[in-house]
Amino acid sequence: MTAQRSTSRLALIIWGYIIWSLVPVVIAIIFSFNDGRSRTVWQGFSLRWWWQDPNLSVLQNAEMRNAIFNSLVLAVATLLIVTPLGIALAIGSQRMHGRSANFVQGLTSAPLITPEIVVGSALLITFTRLLTAVPLGFVAQLLGNVTFSLASVVVIVRARLVSIGASFEEAARDLGATRWQALRFVLFPMLWPSVMASLVVVFATVIDDFVITSFLSAGVSSETVPLRIYSSVRGGATPALNALATLLVIISFTALILGLFALSTWRKRNGERGGLRAASPM
Amino acid sequence: MGRRDFLRNLAITSGAITFGGSLLAACGGSTETESGGLSIGTPQNPIKLPVTTDAIADGLPNESGTLEILNWADYQNPDSIAIFEEKFGCKVVTSIYDTEEAAIAKLRNGTFKPDLILGMTDTGLAKLVAADLLQPLNKSYIPNFGNVISGLQNPYYDLESQYTVPYFIYGNGIGYRTDRIDKNAFAGNGYDTLWDPQFSGKLALLDSYRDTLAMAMFRAGNFDANTTDAAVITKAGDDLVALREATNPKVDILAYQELPAGNRDINFTWSGDLFTALQYLPEGVKPDVLGFWYPDKTIAKNDFMCVTKAAKAPVLAHQLINFLSDTDNALLNREYVGYQPALESITVDLLISSGTIPESLVDALVTPEKYDAGIAQVSLEPQADALWLEQWTRFTAG
Amino acid sequence: MLFGSNSGRVSPQDKLKKSPRLWAGFAFPGTIWLIALFALPFYAVACIAFGTIDPIFRDAVPQWNPLSWDFTQARQVLTSLATGPLRGVGLRTIVYVFCAMTLCFVVGFPIAYFLARHAGKRKMMLLVLIIVPFWVNYLMRMLAWVNLLSVDGLFTRFMRIFGINYNWLDGSPITVTLGLVYGYIPFLILPLFATLDRLDWRLIDAARDLGANSRQAFRLVTLPMSRAGLVAAGVLIALPMFGDYYTNDLLSRSPSTEMIGNQIDFFLNASSQPQNGALLVLTLSLFLLLLMSFYLRSTRQQSRQVTR
Repeated sequence: MTAQRSTSRLALIIWGYIIWSLVPVVIAIIFSFNDGRSRTVWQGFSLRWWWQDPNLSVLQNAEMRNAIFNSLVLAVATLLIVTPLGIALAIGSQRMHGRSANFVQGLTSAPLITPEIVVGSALLITFTRLLTAVPLGFVAQLLGNVTFSLASVVVIVRARLVSIGASFEEAARDLGATRWQALRFVLFPMLWPSVMASLVVVFATVIDDFVITSFLSAGVSSETVPLRIYSSVRGGATPALNALATLLVIISFTALILGLFALSTWRKRNGERGGLRAASPM
Repeated sequence: MGRRDFLRNLAITSGAITFGGSLLAACGGSTETESGGLSIGTPQNPIKLPVTTDAIADGLPNESGTLEILNWADYQNPDSIAIFEEKFGCKVVTSIYDTEEAAIAKLRNGTFKPDLILGMTDTGLAKLVAADLLQPLNKSYIPNFGNVISGLQNPYYDLESQYTVPYFIYGNGIGYRTDRIDKNAFAGNGYDTLWDPQFSGKLALLDSYRDTLAMAMFRAGNFDANTTDAAVITKAGDDLVALREATNPKVDILAYQELPAGNRDINFTWSGDLFTALQYLPEGVKPDVLGFWYPDKTIAKNDFMCVTKAAKAPVLAHQLINFLSDTDNALLNREYVGYQPALESITVDLLISSGTIPESLVDALVTPEKYDAGIAQVSLEPQADALWLEQWTRFTAG
Repeated sequence: MLFGSNSGRVSPQDKLKKSPRLWAGFAFPGTIWLIALFALPFYAVACIAFGTIDPIFRDAVPQWNPLSWDFTQARQVLTSLATGPLRGVGLRTIVYVFCAMTLCFVVGFPIAYFLARHAGKRKMMLLVLIIVPFWVNYLMRMLAWVNLLSVDGLFTRFMRIFGINYNWLDGSPITVTLGLVYGYIPFLILPLFATLDRLDWRLIDAARDLGANSRQAFRLVTLPMSRAGLVAAGVLIALPMFGDYYTNDLLSRSPSTEMIGNQIDFFLNASSQPQNGALLVLTLSLFLLLLMSFYLRSTRQQSRQVTR
């Protein structure tokens, strides 16, 4: 009896939490369709802040469009660099041994436990005083985001490497494959789920990143959506800001769903541990 | 390109960046300390600023492409900018700054690379010149310069207006909600209202160490807004700490949004903010809920427009300065910004007769008399500046 | 994800280990990258922190040679943190983070526990609902609350029904702390859930069978078994909270709720005193390093205790 009562109390907490965590966001999204200028008082439904207003709506305002564009470019560029870099680092650091391996592993996990503000300000100081060849703005933001998200790619890929183990590659070697062939045709295909997972995680991290991107920004030319939201949250911003934030949420979720979809297709095609099968058609 | 090549290239590139950067840093490390001192003009000692480069030549064609402005938030009318863009076939983008010090620091370290800076004042000018960030103006592109208030055509901080063209004028005072605070509250020493605990949580000060510390000094009867007297500066810091403890203030530059929204009752701010605030009033709220106490003795000044030395579109930058100095364009710009353009033709009477200014805000207008009686606020020598900043940190660190 | 990777003890990889140079080659680009853009920046921060000050701009002049580092300003900032104006900021940061973390645990633990133990068929759906905020941008979630808490916001009006007329956005420490809780709690629930989900609940059932009441079973079995996960999850949210400045900035913007991150942001971005900013960055990093070493020690003890 008591167990049941405490369970239902827990259920109450969990539903309370879900309401608490989601309702504000839902309300903010609803207010992007407000007909009036207010973000707090409902004045009827309209698409004014999405595209009808020729200057202020999110899809027509040059600065907001610019911010969306910058966010997407930054996220994709980061992915292009961090994925190969992270995969290689994960494989290398997992298989090295001895003192250098400890060093590499320590260095790799350090960004995970460093607050963003520390990374951001350290890079700001570096790019303005030491590596002055790197201009603030897109390039600096790119380098910063790669540095910060590298660790998560490594962690994800390494977890996969651990679960794969070494036996598949050994089998391939025993059957006469060169080391490189074993990597290319056995290990890499099996890494796909983790690569997909890191793509999604990194994309979402970078799209949402505020601190590093803001510390390394150079004014409007490198303003991303979170920066835009931050600079106009307080005070008289219009519901177009809510629309902009909603767009960001939509982008994140699209990435997530695409990633999950790709993952499940991969799983379906290759079965549970289908690395070898995945390699065969190639 | 194979994966391996790509990785190798990446390694080489990242190595090269590190190496090249250190080399650069090693070579260029000492340049920053070489400046000889600040050139500070005061009303008593007007100054002709040093010039290190030539202005652009006459009659150059307008650049095509983008003009980048550095400006305060909401300090230019998007409609005016749109007209300018159409007229000159260019694109205008704007970066935002919140404080002069941050803007200067970021201009120096390359975070901001604008062509044109709007809204800077002479408290920052000496540093901008010392850092060699500005280029002298070629007035042949700015025929409208003659429209500028005649007393500001040869200002003490920049004799012959080599670098600057005035933009807006304003005075420092206290904006308040007339529906919550009576005008008579400011009889006596009006500044005392800011220390009144009954406004706790509904009160804000300017996020500008020069303005807000000077306000505390004026309250205490010290009317030198550029004092180097450590005792006076420390006293101002003490008073602000007392204010903080009494009223838990906000420190920002959002009076123009928060007062009309009703989020606060009283706000030490720039007079022009109250006119900006008019268009932020929620529907159905009358404009006369906004009031302004303009102290008898206070800072009154102008800000200005200037072109950066590194400008990629210097001609367009000159054109925009000229454009905004045209009376009609300035009036259109004012419709959004609210502040009073620093043009001779835009008189207080003209603004009142336009019918957009409620009776309760007539006091916030800067008349020529008020302007002349205003206390000047100029750049500080670094040692004094450090004292001011130290007290400011004491206040803002809470 | 931080917790799925208790790597190392895999089946022997003899053949793979025979080619150390190849693996080192794989790790090389990433290592160089991290040295150049993660380790080196700390050196740069130190060079600013222990450099000198430009007499004109009051800007920091880096001292690249560690042998001639100058510690006068460092002493001043440390004194200020110990006894001066920055002391309040430091203490406040610790108090806010501590309160926010406690609240996160109070709310988050029962949720993770329920999910892992009692959710049954609805587990998947609940998990998805709980993960959703994880994917909603942090600033978006703060924006949502700023809307609700402003003077004519829905929440403020709602509370007025109960006669509570509180000005939430006017420099209130309560708002800031709750903002931190709201912002970071998803990052706590997920790892907690991951830990609890892997627990062997039969042990708890066994404890109950042997006569322990539910509270005893929780205290003597559940808690010790999940301690490492609890601490890890705590660290995971505490670290970013210590460096947070935007939550505070959006929800309060008052000097009386200023945290250490705000001061770093102020010194580096809003004022021309990067040296102080660099010193605070170093101090914060050292402080967090201490916390981390505590965490690492406790997990090491834990892994010695628990044999799987």
